[in-house]
Amino acid sequence: MKDEKKLYLFFPFLIASFVAAAFAYDGIAALKGFLKLQLMPSRLLSDFFITAGIGPSFLNAAVVGFSGFLLVILTKTKLSGPTFAAVFTMMGFGFFGKTLLNILPILFGVFLAAKYTQKTFREYIIIALFGTALGPLVSAIAFELGLPLPLSIILGAAGGIFTGFLLPSMAVSMLHMHQGYNLYNMGLTCGFLSLFAASLLKAGGASLDNVSYWFSGQPLLLELLVPVISFILIVLGLMDGGVKSLSDFKKIQTQTGRLPSDFIDSTSFGGVFINAGLIGLVGAMYIHFVGGDFNGPVLGGLFTIMGFSAFGTNLKNAWPVVIGVIVSALIFKIPLDSPGVQLAVIFCTTLSPIAGQFGILPGIIAGFLHLLLVSQSGTWQGGMNLYNNGFAGGLTATFLIAFFQWYRTNKKENRLR
Amino acid sequence: MKRRELITHLISEISSYMLESDPMRLVISLHQEEDGLHLSVMDDAEHTDAEIEQMEKDLNSQKRPELAGYYGAMTGHDLLGSSRLNLLGWQVKHTDVTRIDKGIKIDFWLGGDNFDSRQFNIPEKK
Repeated sequence: MKDEKKLYLFFPFLIASFVAAAFAYDGIAALKGFLKLQLMPSRLLSDFFITAGIGPSFLNAAVVGFSGFLLVILTKTKLSGPTFAAVFTMMGFGFFGKTLLNILPILFGVFLAAKYTQKTFREYIIIALFGTALGPLVSAIAFELGLPLPLSIILGAAGGIFTGFLLPSMAVSMLHMHQGYNLYNMGLTCGFLSLFAASLLKAGGASLDNVSYWFSGQPLLLELLVPVISFILIVLGLMDGGVKSLSDFKKIQTQTGRLPSDFIDSTSFGGVFINAGLIGLVGAMYIHFVGGDFNGPVLGGLFTIMGFSAFGTNLKNAWPVVIGVIVSALIFKIPLDSPGVQLAVIFCTTLSPIAGQFGILPGIIAGFLHLLLVSQSGTWQGGMNLYNNGFAGGLTATFLIAFFQWYRTNKKENRLR
Repeated sequence: MKRRELITHLISEISSYMLESDPMRLVISLHQEEDGLHLSVMDDAEHTDAEIEQMEKDLNSQKRPELAGYYGAMTGHDLLGSSRLNLLGWQVKHTDVTRIDKGIKIDFWLGGDNFDSRQFNIPEKK
């Protein structure tokens, strides 16, 4: 069986498991909660486990993930590293910020941009899927401005379509800024657009105060979710190729991870599944060890890094950046179990290509700076870009890359004689 | 992307790659037609069989419109890190890597459906 076909089986299984978990947990109330959730604001940090409940959140994550998976199929896009990452990320953010209602206008906006430039939607599908990070912008316009409901939904949709239309042009420019060393490039792109959107809304009198819904309960379902999926991934990876999968897993550890690094393409499904499983397990163990919370944002983060284990993140390039964040937190006396640090430790792996390309010390420096920046960047963009760590990571990568480039160009031995 | 931009980026990426082998001679030749083009790059550096095999693989990889349409924009903008042939491979119609007296020659063929690369003596598939 070809690798791609295995993924076509894996994702429906995962999505169906989420639907089953939703109804097993909350019964028919999961469906009612899911419908209610569509009409709620979702700016950072809105943990759907609090605002809607656990069952509705699982159902929402399944629906959001399925919409991404369906688009991949409909556009006949290869189900490989970037699409694997995108579907996992969309499912994860279905726990805190993305809803079916708030992602559709963004997707449609990117579709219009493709039509306008006479490209196929497939050429912009990665931008569209990750661009759904701007979902809270749609919800904010629709449900936080105090406008009458039918009009506000139309305005929210229009805002989403317009920003979606802008995404392809911005995404490519942002890529040039950090040269592929920030894995969540759409985080930087959406953050950049959110700066303007937040300024506009604030100028119009909107109050975009910080939101903080953070679930701290520890139901067994949430604690075991990532370890169980990780275990399944590792077993599937080993069953797929045995020794070859292990060898491919080792090969993945030697890659820098710089965008675009499709690990499924360069190695195999088996190697990537082992990488994803181990990254998920290590992440979950870390959260457990520091006494963190297995809530919407944390689970979303763990899903995201598992997804990106097919598209840039490996254990070898991730750990220096993570150490950098932890060192930064300890120096500045920010508790390791505080929400910001928990999320930064997980999402800082957006900078793992810096460690992969330039080594351990630059990786640690990147992580160190990342925590400082990400603590501020959420407020700048009004919490409307869900990939706030991608935004901060992009700025950190741009800063470091500019310096590395200047240093390398001007080193005496590199000058033209 | 305009044709001129595309050609500039392709030449930048491939020449950056070839210069990593530190050749003493690098020749770039471009032949344009209305529906396509042929870009040929030659150097005089040492290349192992394994390297050539990997180049062939990267340059003739499966076409990935979803990656070419987005990450393909990085082609020719590589200022740090090593050059990546897969960025080129996603965007060209066909590539040949052949050994010449000293060094190698890489032939790129680009074009729309109307472009008949056989007119440029592209090897027939057996």
